[in-house]
Amino acid sequence: MNDHKKRIIGVMSAVFEIDSSEITEDAGPGTIGNWDSLGHMKLVVALEEEFDYRFPDEMVEQLISFKLIELTLKEALEIEK
Amino acid sequence: MKSMKYTEILKSNRELKTQLRGEKYQIVLLSNIVVNQLKEVLEFALRQMGINADVSIGEYDNIVQDSSRYVQADAVVVFWEAGNLVEGLHSTITLYNSHSIVALADRFESEIEIVLKNLRHVPLVLVNSFSSLLFGTDELRSGALKLLCKRLNEALENRATPNQLIVDLTAILARVGLGAAADFRQFLTSKALYSVDFFKMYAEVVKGSFCSVTGRARKVLVLDCDNTLWAGILGEDGEEGIQMDTTSYKGRVFREVQQILKGFRRKGILLALCSKNNSEDVERILATHPDIVLAEEDLVAKKVNWNNKAANIRELADELNLGTDSFVFVDDSSFEIGLVEKELPQVKCIQVPEILSEYPAKMREVERDFFLLSQTAEDGLKTEQYHQEHLRKSHGVKFDTINDYLTSLGLNVNIIFGKGIPIHRVSQMTQKTNQFNLTTRRYTEGDIQRMLKTPDCWIYVFSVEDRYGDYGHTGMAIIEKEQDELHTARISSLLMSCRVIGRNVEYAFFDRLVERLSQAGIKTLRAEYIRTAKNEQVSLFYNELGFNVVTSNDTQSNYDIKLDTYQYRNISYINVTEKDN
Repeated sequence: MNDHKKRIIGVMSAVFEIDSSEITEDAGPGTIGNWDSLGHMKLVVALEEEFDYRFPDEMVEQLISFKLIELTLKEALEIEK
Repeated sequence: MKSMKYTEILKSNRELKTQLRGEKYQIVLLSNIVVNQLKEVLEFALRQMGINADVSIGEYDNIVQDSSRYVQADAVVVFWEAGNLVEGLHSTITLYNSHSIVALADRFESEIEIVLKNLRHVPLVLVNSFSSLLFGTDELRSGALKLLCKRLNEALENRATPNQLIVDLTAILARVGLGAAADFRQFLTSKALYSVDFFKMYAEVVKGSFCSVTGRARKVLVLDCDNTLWAGILGEDGEEGIQMDTTSYKGRVFREVQQILKGFRRKGILLALCSKNNSEDVERILATHPDIVLAEEDLVAKKVNWNNKAANIRELADELNLGTDSFVFVDDSSFEIGLVEKELPQVKCIQVPEILSEYPAKMREVERDFFLLSQTAEDGLKTEQYHQEHLRKSHGVKFDTINDYLTSLGLNVNIIFGKGIPIHRVSQMTQKTNQFNLTTRRYTEGDIQRMLKTPDCWIYVFSVEDRYGDYGHTGMAIIEKEQDELHTARISSLLMSCRVIGRNVEYAFFDRLVERLSQAGIKTLRAEYIRTAKNEQVSLFYNELGFNVVTSNDTQSNYDIKLDTYQYRNISYINVTEKDN
């Protein structure tokens, strides 16, 4: 697993209070109990802090699965480089 | 905490939750915006201080009703956001005419009144001041929202009781920076206005008030000398070489720090020295150096020697009758800081910053650790009282027996009761006294006022003076009549400030208490000792007084005594007077 993924999983497990093993590729609000609107808010803040990156406004509400988050961050951080 | 990531805070907060024992400290957060992220941040800040905090969040935008629902909470925090007083007010207010703005102000003024009134018995209430800073450009001329905030802030100032603190929102916004304090994306999607950075700063700023009400406020600031009070090393640079004057850059920094410290002392913070130096050298600087701001009488104690600083701090704690957890230690040396941190982890250590210009600001921040919810005139006198204590102790050496010594003190105990007791000080004593405190129950001024109105509750307060001076009000007892048992009462609080320990005044006070209660028809007196980390020294107090042990376990002992079997001590060297106010 690459470093990126590990860090995202770390953030998600802390925010949603679940074990890393429960965070699969298709994890999302449907599979994780604490991923409600408040949970989502916390997740966004925690991810932004972890990656020192600010999601564009319209993106924030779309980050509703592990895959989407990973892709978005990957693209964003590669462009930044 | 500033440097900790949100994720780390969430994780560590959960770990602390499992580690902390004891009763939960219940905090309720009321708001008209979404502030859920403050929950963990505040819990973490307080749990780090050993407070078993549990934050719950009231209903969204239901502050008025919730304020009557959570009156049993240990603390209530009110986040009343001006920009959302009514849905979307931050933008719609510019469309209001002056009549509707006045009507709005009237409405919220009365809501503020109701909320503060409902929460007046909660031991600690924090209410944010209203601010338009995030929504206005009021720099040259005040806009409608700013004017509204001004009126509401006046209402807060006028209505808040001493246990209700107004948190200066603009000051916190300024510390964080407006850009970093708000997250308008979250405001648009979820009505969450403030960023996690803001909440971290908020928790940092308010935590002192929680420490105060839970008896965790720091009391003593221990200072190194070389490169802490002045620039340079006295032993090497000599009297002329050290700097604390206004003519040099370094000198100005240290001079300012000394002035800050002198201000602390005025507010009742105890200052002490702990320095590796020749003690005569430091004495001379204090007495004669033309640039010194601090003087001998500003210091409650000094450990100027070549001993281990942790050992010195322990000795200071013994001398002052205080726990080391009420100490803050400042030094420029990483070695000394490291040593004290290792040996006395409960002491808060502060290292003089390498960038000297940051030193004064860092010292000002220290004041938060010493925050007291109730500040009284007696606080400013404290250093003097400890000085008198020092005189008394040196006086003590010459006497053959302790009784001879105590007799020579000319001790006077004045007991007062009734409506005229110093409510402020009484509440403060319950909040601050840890060692000689049998039950460690904390009460606000509101609590005390209520007790005074109850016919079945008596509060006795005593002050102590002797030939060296007046210690002020230093002890008290609260006695409650048992509801359904005739002639029976219970001591629910009995405490005494450590300033007067060792003079047997507690026994003289207790004698008189028994006499009074007997006169009032009480035949059986019950009492309890509730163990805390700090009150071991009184664990056998009631046993000594001849009480019977009814039940006893690791955390609590319950006692009773038939008052007609009580053995009066009749201490000859203590004169007791009484005053019914």
